[in-house]
Amino acid sequence: MNKNILDKIKVETLTANPELNEPHKNLHEKEVRVVLKNCDIINPENINHYIAKDGYFAINQILTGMSQEDVIKVVSDSGLRGRGGGGFPTGRKWNFAYKNENDTKYIICNADEGDPGAFMDRSVLEKDPHSILEGMIIAGFAIGAETGFIYVRAEYPLAAERLQKAIDDALELNILGENIFGTKFNFKIEIRLGAGAFVCGEETALIASIEGNRGMSKNKPPYPAIEGLYGKPTIINNVETLANISQIILKGSKWFRSFGTEKSPGTKVFALAGKIKNTGLIEVPMGITLGEIIHDIGRGVGNKRKFKAVLTGGPSGGCLTEKHLDQEVDFDTLVALGSMMGSGGMIVLDDHDCMVDIAKFYLDFSVDESCGKCTPCREGTIQLYKLLEKITNGEGTIADLDKLKKLSKAVKKTSLCGLGMTAPNPILSTLEHFYDEYLAHVTHKVCPASSCRGLIEKYIIQDNCVGCTICAKRCPVQCITGERKGLHVIDQDACIQCGECFASCNFDAIITK
Amino acid sequence: MKMINLKINDQEIVVEAGKNILDYCVELGIDIPTFCHDERIKSEGACRMCVVEVKGINRLLASCATPATDGMEIKTHSPEVMEARKDVLELTWASHPNDCVVCDANGDCKLQDYSYEYNLTSIPEYDGHKRNFSIDDSNKFFYIDPEKCILCGKCVYVCKDLQGVEALGFNQRGHDTFISFAFDNGMEQSNCVSCGNCVSVCPTGALMEKSNVMFRSWETKKTRTTCPYCGVGCQFDIVTKGEQVVRIDPAPGTPNEGLLCVKGKFAYKFINHKGRLTSPLIKENGEFREASWDEAYDLIASKYTELNNKYGSATFAGLASAKCTNEENYMFQKLFRAAIGTNNVDHCARLCHASTVAGLATTLGSGAMTNSIAEVKDHDVIFVIGSNTTETHPVIGSFMKQAIAKGSKIIVADPREIELAEGADVFLKILPGTNVPLLNAMMKVIYNENLHDIDYISERTENFETTLETIQNTDIEEAAEICGIDAEDIRKAARIYAAGNKAGIYYAMGITQHSQGTNNVKSIANLALLCGNVGIESGGINPLRGQNNVQGACDMGGLPDVFPGYQKVFNDEARAKFEKAWGVKLDNKVGLSLPHVLDGAYEDQIRFLYIMGENPVVSDPDTTHVKKSLDNLDFLIVQDLFMTETAEMADVILPASSYAEKEGTFTNTERRVQMIRPAIKPVGDSKADYIIIQEIMNKIGYNQPILTPSEIMDEVATLTPIYGGVSYDRIQELGLQWPVLDHNHPGTKYLHKDKFARGLGLFSEVEFAEAKELPDENFPIVLTTGRVLYHFHTISMTGKNEEINEIVPENFIEISPKTAESYKLKHMDHASISSRRGTTKAVVHVTDKIGDGVMFMPFHFADGANMLTNTELDATCNIPELKVCAVQIDGKL
Amino acid sequence: MSIYVLEEQLNEFKIEVIDKYRDTKSPLMQILQESQKRYGCVPVEVQEFISKEMNITTAKINGVVSFYSMFSLKPSGRHILGVCTGTACYVKGASRLVERVEALLDTEYGSTTEDGCFTLAHTRCVGDCAQAPVIMVNDEFNGKVTSDDIPKIIARHRGKNCKK
Ligand SMILES: Nc1nc2c(c(=O)[nH]1)N[C@H]1C(S)=C(S)[C@@H](COP(=O)(O)OP(=O)(O)OC[C@H]3O[C@@H](n4cnc5c(=O)[nH]c(N)nc54)[C@H](O)[C@@H]3O)O[C@H]1N2
Ligand SMILES: Nc1nc2c(c(=O)[nH]1)N[C@H]1C(S)=C(S)[C@@H](COP(=O)(O)OP(=O)(O)OC[C@H]3O[C@@H](n4cnc5c(=O)[nH]c(N)nc54)[C@H](O)[C@@H]3O)O[C@H]1N2
Ligand SMILES: Cc1cc2nc3c(=O)[nH]c(=O)nc-3n(C[C@H](O)[C@H](O)[C@H](O)COP(=O)(O)O)c2cc1C
Ligand code: SF4
Ligand code: SF4
Ligand code: SF4
Ligand code: SF4
Ligand code: SF4
Ligand code: FES
Ligand code: FES
Ligand SMILES: [Mo]
Repeated sequence: MNKNILDKIKVETLTANPELNEPHKNLHEKEVRVVLKNCDIINPENINHYIAKDGYFAINQILTGMSQEDVIKVVSDSGLRGRGGGGFPTGRKWNFAYKNENDTKYIICNADEGDPGAFMDRSVLEKDPHSILEGMIIAGFAIGAETGFIYVRAEYPLAAERLQKAIDDALELNILGENIFGTKFNFKIEIRLGAGAFVCGEETALIASIEGNRGMSKNKPPYPAIEGLYGKPTIINNVETLANISQIILKGSKWFRSFGTEKSPGTKVFALAGKIKNTGLIEVPMGITLGEIIHDIGRGVGNKRKFKAVLTGGPSGGCLTEKHLDQEVDFDTLVALGSMMGSGGMIVLDDHDCMVDIAKFYLDFSVDESCGKCTPCREGTIQLYKLLEKITNGEGTIADLDKLKKLSKAVKKTSLCGLGMTAPNPILSTLEHFYDEYLAHVTHKVCPASSCRGLIEKYIIQDNCVGCTICAKRCPVQCITGERKGLHVIDQDACIQCGECFASCNFDAIITK
Repeated sequence: MKMINLKINDQEIVVEAGKNILDYCVELGIDIPTFCHDERIKSEGACRMCVVEVKGINRLLASCATPATDGMEIKTHSPEVMEARKDVLELTWASHPNDCVVCDANGDCKLQDYSYEYNLTSIPEYDGHKRNFSIDDSNKFFYIDPEKCILCGKCVYVCKDLQGVEALGFNQRGHDTFISFAFDNGMEQSNCVSCGNCVSVCPTGALMEKSNVMFRSWETKKTRTTCPYCGVGCQFDIVTKGEQVVRIDPAPGTPNEGLLCVKGKFAYKFINHKGRLTSPLIKENGEFREASWDEAYDLIASKYTELNNKYGSATFAGLASAKCTNEENYMFQKLFRAAIGTNNVDHCARLCHASTVAGLATTLGSGAMTNSIAEVKDHDVIFVIGSNTTETHPVIGSFMKQAIAKGSKIIVADPREIELAEGADVFLKILPGTNVPLLNAMMKVIYNENLHDIDYISERTENFETTLETIQNTDIEEAAEICGIDAEDIRKAARIYAAGNKAGIYYAMGITQHSQGTNNVKSIANLALLCGNVGIESGGINPLRGQNNVQGACDMGGLPDVFPGYQKVFNDEARAKFEKAWGVKLDNKVGLSLPHVLDGAYEDQIRFLYIMGENPVVSDPDTTHVKKSLDNLDFLIVQDLFMTETAEMADVILPASSYAEKEGTFTNTERRVQMIRPAIKPVGDSKADYIIIQEIMNKIGYNQPILTPSEIMDEVATLTPIYGGVSYDRIQELGLQWPVLDHNHPGTKYLHKDKFARGLGLFSEVEFAEAKELPDENFPIVLTTGRVLYHFHTISMTGKNEEINEIVPENFIEISPKTAESYKLKHMDHASISSRRGTTKAVVHVTDKIGDGVMFMPFHFADGANMLTNTELDATCNIPELKVCAVQIDGKL
Repeated sequence: MSIYVLEEQLNEFKIEVIDKYRDTKSPLMQILQESQKRYGCVPVEVQEFISKEMNITTAKINGVVSFYSMFSLKPSGRHILGVCTGTACYVKGASRLVERVEALLDTEYGSTTEDGCFTLAHTRCVGDCAQAPVIMVNDEFNGKVTSDDIPKIIARHRGKNCKK
C-alpha cells in the first residue's frame, strides 16, 4: 500500500460511483458536516468508498513525512476538545501520553455511548467506521502505541459488526497491521463489547472492563495517560473526537478553527429528541445559539404545547430554559449555566413535563448505574432519589429541599468518579431554574405539569374536547365514553389513573385535579 | 531521587516524591481517618473518609489514593474537610444498622470511633433504604454480616492481593453490592482457606470471628508474641480477657506483614482447653494419679540414681522439643550433657530436616535457609520441590503468590497437584522418591544449553568437574521416565530456572524424608550452585523449617553430635569450652539419634527416656515398633501440655506451660530469633519447661542456679558464636537473624554472601538410588505421607479446636479416580490399608490431583499413616523414609 | 437451553470458546459474552467451568457476572421485550408503556412470563431516540409506539413459535 494505490482506488471508486460526490440531502442551512460528512453517503462496509472520500490519506501523509510531535502540534493547534463530555483538549492529552515513556502504550476508543437519549456515536460507528479507525491509527502513531481497543456498547451489535468488517478490510490493505504503508509503524485494533454498565463509559471503569474486571472506577489521578490499561499509558478518546482527527490532519488546524468559537472550535453533533418536531442528528458549528437549534433546526415543540426546557449532558447535566435560548452552545457556556455539553444529547421538554420528576428519573438512572465503590455515590444517590420520590408523592417538606441541596453538594464534592460527581447535577440545575415547581410540590402538594401521579386525584375532560376519540381508544380499562366529535367523559369509579388519556390528548382537553 | 515541596496545614516540607498524600501526612503525625486504606494494598480510594483539600482543586481528594505532587498545598482538617467527612459518615450510616449496643464489634469499630470523633450528634435519619441481607455463617470461624459492611473492600483486596486466594468478592453492583463468597453459596463451596486475614482488617462488625466467649475490647489486654505452630514464626497479639485467650490479632511488619494462617489466627483454643494437664501425674499399677511436683521430682531423682548406678549414663536419652523455646532446649541438652553425661539427645528434626542439616552443612557449611521470608516476594523464579507451601508454611505461600502476581515464574515438582501447581509455569508431577533423576536431568539441560554460571562456578565452588560427569551420565528421557513425567517439561523447567536472576529454591519434606534425603539435598545444592544462585538476595536454597522452633532446637544443640551452635562434640576445642563453662567433663562420643534411641529402647540399650514436647507414638514411623520400644523402657518421663498417646505410656507426666504462659525465644525458618511473652498465668500447676528442667538438674545433683530465660540466653550467647550478639534487649521489636556474631552485629539477612560458610561451595556427585521399599505385587501402591493446612502434626493442639475437627475430622487417603476404580472405591468410602508393618483405616478422597498408583495420607491421626510407614533410614543422617513405602488397599469397610 | 448445562455442552463450550481465548489477555468478558449469547445466560455451572479451565476464581467471575446487567444467571424467555426507558423515551411516555406491558403479560419488569415466551428486559436507550418511544423485541425496533400498539406487538411475537 502506498499513496499511488490510494489515489488509484479513489479515482476508480469515484468513477464507478458518482453519487459519492453528491451533497447531503435535507441539510438545514445552519448545519455543517465534518464528523458526519460521510454518513448516509458512503457504503460503510466498503473501504473503497471511504478512501474515495479522502479516507486514509491523512495517515498516509503522516507516515510519509510527519513526526509524532508534528501530529500532536496540529491537533493541539486545532483546539479540538474531547467530545465525550469533558471537553479536555485532545492535543494536550496526547502529549501527556507521548511524553510518558514506556515500551507499551494503548489507544482506546470510547464507543460506550451511555447517555440514555443520545445516539451520535452510534451513527458514526455504523455509518463511517473507517473514520474511527483512522483517528485511532493516527492517535497511536502520535503517542507511540501499537494496540488500540474499541469499547462498544453491547446494545450496538451492528456497530460492532461493521467495525470488525472495517478492521478486516483495513488489515487486508495493510492500513492496519505490521509495517503500515511500508513504514516501521505497526498498529492493531481489537473490539471489546460492553455488557450493560453505564459507568463503563467512565475511562477508568472502561479500562477495568477491558481488563476483564467489574467496571468499577478508579481514583484519578493517576490519569490513564500516565497509568491506564494494564498500568500502561493509555489515551481514551470519544468516537466523535476521533472522527475529527483525519480531517484536521488533512485540512489543517486553521481550517478546523474556522468553525466554532475561539475556545470551542469545530462542530458538534447533537441528538435532538423528546418533545420536538424534527428529531434526529444534527451537526452544527459550536457557538450556535440554543434557540437556533430548538426553533430553527428543530422546528419547535409542536402540538399545542409550550417549550419548557432542554436537557443536555444526560444524567450528568442539567437543563436550559426559555431564558437561555439566546445563549451560545459551547463547552464553557453550558457549564457556566449549570448544565454541560455532555456527549450531545438534547432532550426537549414541554409544559407537561415535571422538572422534579425529570430529576427523579435521572437519579433513578444514577442509582441503577452507580458502580457502588465509593460511599457518597453508592449511598448518596439513593438517598437523593428517595427524597425526590417523597416530594413527587406529595410527602415532601421545605426542609427536604434544603436537604436535597446539601446532600447534592456533599455527593458532588466527595465522590470518586465523574458519575457520582455529576449525578446530583440534574437536581441542582432544576432546583435553580424551577424552584417554584419544587415549592408547589412541597407546599401546595400539586404538580404544575400534571405529571406526578402521586399528586393527581383524578382526570377530567373539559368542554374543549373535540371528540377525536383518541383518549377512549388509549384507555386500557375502557372507562372513557363519548360520541365521535362529541364531548367525552371519564367514569371516575373505573379509572385507574394511568394517565394515558391525559398524555394522548392533543387538544389540552383533559385536566387533572 | 526526585524531591518535591509540599505544604500541609501550613507546614512546609521537602520530601522524596512517589507517595500518596496520606503517607506524607502520616509521616508528619497528622491523624487522618481511613476506612479502606491499608498500606499493604494499592489504595482504592473507596470510602472517601480521608479526603483533604488541595489548593486550586475544587473538589476534595482522597489522600490515600492521590499521589502528592510538587507544590501541593494541602489542608487536612479545614472546616470544609471536616464537614465532608461528617457527610461521608452520615451517608455510611444511611444503610448501616444502628446496632452498636448488641454488636460484637462494639468498642472495636472504626465507624463507631469516627462517628464520635467527628461529632455526629445522633445517628442521622435518612428515610431511605436500609439494606436487607442475611448473615453468612457458613465459615466455621467467622461470619459475614453484609448489613454492617461499609464496602470498604479491604477484605476483598486482602484476600486477593495479599492472601492470594480471592475467595471473597463483591457481588452485584451499586447500592445492592455486598461482600460474599462466590454465588453467595457460603464458604463450603468456596476456595476460602479460613486464614481470617479478611476478618483482621475489617473496620466494622461485618466480618467477625465466631467467639464463644463474650468480651468487649475494653476488657482485654494484648500481648505480642510468636505463633506456636509452624516455622514461619508469625508475630501476633494474644488478646486476653483475664486468664482467657479470646482472640488473636496479626501484627504488622516482619516476618508475616499482618498475615496469619488459620492455625495462628483461630486454633488457639488449646491454650484454655479443659484437657490441659494441670498437675504432675504418676503412674501406679497402670493408672495415673495426681501428684505434687516434689513427689514427681523425687521419683525422677530416685529412678535416675537407680538406673544410672545400674546401667550407666549411656542408657539415658532425651528428646528435646521443637515446640519449646531456645532457652528450654539449651537447658534440656545441658541436662543430658552436663548433668547426666550423655550425648543421647535428639528431637523431631531427625524426622524432618536431618538431611538438610547434613547435606547443606557439607556443601555450603550451614544447614539453614539461606535467604529471608521478606525476599520471597521479589523472586523472578520460584522452584518449589517437595514443599506444600500454601498448606504448611501458609504465609510464605502467600508471599509466593504475591511474587507470582508481580510476574515471577513458578516451577513445582510434587507427586500431587498442590495449590501452587495450579497455574504453575511448569508442574512436574513426579513419582515419590525420584527427585535426583529430575534434578540431574535439569542440570544436564542447563549445562548443555550453556545456561550455567561459569564465573560463579570457577570463583566460588569446587568439585564441579567430577560432579559434571555424573550429571552427563544422566539420560534425560530415561530420567523423565523414572519420574513419570514428560522430558520436555524437564527442559522447560530447567530453562526457566536457569533464566532467573533471582531464582529461589524452596523445599521441605518431599526432599528430606527419604533414604536418599541427604543426596536429594546435595543435588539441590548442585543445581543452585550451577546457576550461581546462592549468596544473592531473593535467591538461594531455602529449606522451609517446619516446627515453630525446630531451627532453634537444632541451634541449641538438641542433636546428638553437636553442642549449641553446631560445635561438634568430638571437637576437643569446643568440648573444652563447654566443659569449662559447665564445670564438668563431657562425653566426646556422638550420641544416639532418635530412631536409634527407639531401637535402643527396644533392645534394652536405653533404659531411661525423657521426652519433652514430642509425640513419637503418632509421629514416628512404624507405630507398632515405637510402642513396643517405649513399653520396654525402665522409665519414661513425658512433659507435655496434654495427655498425648505418648504420655499415656509414661511413668511420670510433667505438665508444661504453653507458649502463651511463658517467656522465651523461638528461631523461625529464616533464622530469626523472636520473643514469646506470657499473656496469661500458667494453667493449673503447670510450669514452664525451662523451670522444670532446671529444677530436675538440681534434683539429680547438678548445681544449676535457676535462671530466667533472658539469663539463659546470655549464657547461650557466650558459648554459641552464631548467637553471640543475641540478647533480650535487642530482640524485643524485630528479632535478629543469626549469625549475629557480637553485640554490634546486625544479624544476617541472607547467607554466604561473598564467601560460603565452608569457604567454597561444594559440588557433590549424586547418583540416583531407589527408595528402600518399592511397590510390588502384594503391596502395589506407593504411599506418601504429609500434612494438611488445618491440622498440626499429631493434632494434640489443633485437635482441641472443634471447628478444625469438623473440617478435617478423620484419617483419609487421596487416590486417583483410576486407582479408586480398580479397588471399587468411591469418594467418601471407608477403606482399610495395609503395609508390611501394619493396617489402618481411612476415608477415601478420590482426586485427580494425585497420580495413578500413588496414595497420600496425612500422618496427623493416631494409628494412622505411621502404622504403615517404613523405618528404613538415610545412612548419613538417619532420617526415616517417611515419604515412600509400599501399601495395598485391603478393601472397602 | 435448560438451566442445567450438560456435560457435552460444557465440552463444546471448551472447544469452541475457551480454547479460542486461552492465549488472549484478560478474556473473561468475552468468554462470558459467548456464554450469554449461546445459552441466553451464564449459569453457575458455566461459571464454575470457566473458573476451572481458566484458573480464574469463582469469586471473581461471580463478581463480574453480577456487575453487568447483560449477564443473567437464568435463561431468558423466547423473546426479549424491552421498553426503552432512556430519557427520550421516558419523556415520551415510556413508563406508561411499561405498565401496559406488565399488565398485559402479567409479569414484572426484569422477569419472564410463566409460559417462557417473554422476558421483560430493562433497557436504557437503544440509540434510536429520534423514534421515541421505542420498544425492542429481540433485535426488532418498534418506534413511536403508542399504548394501543402493544397488544399487537405482543400478539405478533407470541404467534411466532410461542405455542404453549
Ligand atoms: N498445617 C501444617 N503446617 C505444618 C505442619 C503441620 O503439621 N501442619 N508441620 C510443620 C513441619 S514440622 C514441617 S517439617 C513442615 C513440612 O512441610 P512440607 O514438607 O511442605 O509438608 P509435607 O506434607 O510433609 O510434604 C510436602 C510435599 O512433598 C510431596 N512429596 C512427597 N514425596 C515427594 C517426593 O519424593 N518428591 C517431591 N518433590 N515431593 C514429594 C508431598 O506430596 C507434599 O505435597 O510443615 C510445617 N508446617
Ligand atoms: N508419616 C509421617 N510422619 C512424620 C512426618 C511425615 O511427614 N510423615 N513428619 C515428621 C516431622 S517433619 C516432624 S517435625 C514430626 C513432628 O512430630 P512431633 O514433634 O512428635 O509432633 P507434635 O505433634 O508437634 O508434638 C509436639 C508435642 O509438644 C507438645 N507441646 C506443645 N507446646 C509445648 C510446650 O511448650 N512444652 C511442652 N513440653 N510440650 C509442648 C504438644 O502438645 C505435642 O504433643 O513428625 C514426623 N512424622
Ligand atoms: C459516568 C461517565 C460516563 C461516561 N460515558 C462516556 C461515554 O459513553 N462515551 C464517551 O465517549 N465518554 C464518556 N465519558 C467520558 C469519558 O470518561 C472520557 O472522558 C472520554 O471518553 C474521553 O474522551 P474525549 O477526551 O475524546 O472526550 C463518561 C464519563 C463518565 C464520568
Ligand atoms: S462515584 Fe459512583 S460510579 Fe463512581 S466510583 Fe463512586 S460509586 Fe462508583
Ligand atoms: S459495626 Fe460498628 S457501627 Fe456498626 S453496629 Fe457494630 S459497632 Fe456499631
Ligand atoms: S479467610 Fe482468608 S481465604 Fe477466606 S475469605 Fe478471608 S482472607 Fe480470603
Ligand atoms: S466486610 Fe468489612 S472489610 Fe469487607 S468490605 Fe465490608 S466493611 Fe470492609
Ligand atoms: S503461617 Fe505458621 S507461623 Fe504463621 S500463623 Fe500459620 S502456623 Fe503460625
Ligand atoms: S481511606 Fe482513603 S478513600 Fe478510604
Ligand atoms: S432513549 Fe429510548 S432509544 Fe434513546
Ligand atoms: Mo518437621
